[in-house]
Amino acid sequence: MGKFVVIGERIHCISPVIKKAMEEMNPEPIVKRAKEQVAAGATYIDVNIGPAEKNGPELMKWAVQTIQEACDNIPLALDTSNRAAIEAGISVYNRTNGKPIVNSADAGDRIENIDLAAANDAIVVALCSKAGVPSDNDERMVYCQEMLERGMEHGMEAEDMWFDPLFLVIKGMQDKQMDVLEFIGQLADMGLNSTGGLSNVSNGTPKHIRPILESATVAMAMNRGLTSAIMNPCDARLMETVKAADIIKNNFLYADSFLEL
Amino acid sequence: MAFTRKPQTFSASINEVTIGTGDKAVTIGGANILPLYTFDAPAKNKVAVGAEITDTGVDRTLPGIASYYEGAETMAEIAKRASEMPGADFVALALNGADPNGDNRPVEECVEIAKQVADAIDVPLVITGARNVEKDTELFSKLAEALQGKNVLFVSAREENYKTVAASAVMAYGNKISAESAVDINLAKQLNVLLSQMGIKPESYVMNVGSAAAGYGYDYVASTLDRVKDAALSQNDVMLQMPIITPVSQESWAVKESIVTEDDYPEWGDRETRGIDMEVCTAAAVIAGGSDAVILRHPQSVATISGMIADLM
Repeated sequence: MGKFVVIGERIHCISPVIKKAMEEMNPEPIVKRAKEQVAAGATYIDVNIGPAEKNGPELMKWAVQTIQEACDNIPLALDTSNRAAIEAGISVYNRTNGKPIVNSADAGDRIENIDLAAANDAIVVALCSKAGVPSDNDERMVYCQEMLERGMEHGMEAEDMWFDPLFLVIKGMQDKQMDVLEFIGQLADMGLNSTGGLSNVSNGTPKHIRPILESATVAMAMNRGLTSAIMNPCDARLMETVKAADIIKNNFLYADSFLEL
Repeated sequence: MAFTRKPQTFSASINEVTIGTGDKAVTIGGANILPLYTFDAPAKNKVAVGAEITDTGVDRTLPGIASYYEGAETMAEIAKRASEMPGADFVALALNGADPNGDNRPVEECVEIAKQVADAIDVPLVITGARNVEKDTELFSKLAEALQGKNVLFVSAREENYKTVAASAVMAYGNKISAESAVDINLAKQLNVLLSQMGIKPESYVMNVGSAAAGYGYDYVASTLDRVKDAALSQNDVMLQMPIITPVSQESWAVKESIVTEDDYPEWGDRETRGIDMEVCTAAAVIAGGSDAVILRHPQSVATISGMIADLM
């Protein structure tokens, strides 16, 4: 198995600094955050521009070029509900260090994003839900199968479909946590790749608690076979946990300096 | 349905390292295939074979070696003869006499010998030290200075002296080094990390992950080589993508099979033949495991292994 893929989540239009930078097309704050995440060990950078209904394609193109030029063509996840913006982003995307990720498709309204990924030789995050949170793992598996079939029909390689089990908030959905982990195990048994928004689990908890919950979750999920997460690489505890788990899983050969790599 | 062959190539590849200068310079590494899997894709460079000579002189008790080096008396003559050995790509000077527990030849004398050797040959030069950390640290530093511009490979820097050796041999005088880890894969990686953190460029160093003669713990060498190549290629671990050099001769000529006389063990047959067999089978094994260069002593071993490489790569 290869190393766990860390997709840095910190370029997100919910952040006021990023939102402002995107409105003004000011590269500086965006490049700064991208570089911080790369330095912290992110393999991919997520670029969330929101729905960007006004200027999505233009904004995504600009963001893709700005970040890749500044960061040695770091591979990116293009994160928006605006399909035209994803296509525009891919049109200027540099594949030297990895395929683009379409973030995301689901089994409902956004299923066509699988077709889009297939048509553009991209990876797709395939969210195992249709409308709202799936009630149980049987439902998750139905959506997974639907999306897998869709991808196959359009000529995708299964390895380019990264299934998202949908991490759930602990504070409020504590009783569902083990289900999510169980489902990750089912995906792994099928040989499928998986990813997900890790910070969901710690939503609403105190700031100093968040990395602890996320670290424990990612370690337990990696044990079940999770292959990637959309997460904050700038959190040292979280990155140390991922790196240590990669060592324990023998995804990466141990050396005393492994945390620095 | 017809069988379609799917070549197994990797997006990662082994670094390329060049030793020597001019037309006879040798580049090793570069492969993006498993060792010898040339049916998947061409190997970028062939495994290089070095002919070993030592400052303690030619072992003329072995008839094959004695006859090959007949008439070559000075270090320069011996070196020149070694450089002309059929199948040899480089000369490896083993400064065995520098060992403080042996002849303890002074550093200045070693430098003088190395210069004579370097001046006598036009193929790349590899120098293996006294295998004593303190002595090698000083030795490599002085040799690196004296041999500046020759692009010599020094074997090896170890955990205890890598900083000094890398700083002088590579950073100050532009030569190459190998990082030695005695069949400890985690240390192999760690040394590479430390060298890279010093600013040593990937094209400036190789690894010596350790060796053992066949039958003498060689299984550990085999599993180390396998794991290194797996990490380098399938896991794209850049800290293990250094080419590997294995000094085969020193181990394989030091084991019982290569030492005891025919008088003592008549049922074992000719000693020289046994030594060659040990050297050849160990070398073939480390090449199959992923070694990018080997150092051999006997002309017949060099001919056999270079023939094998020509046939398989």
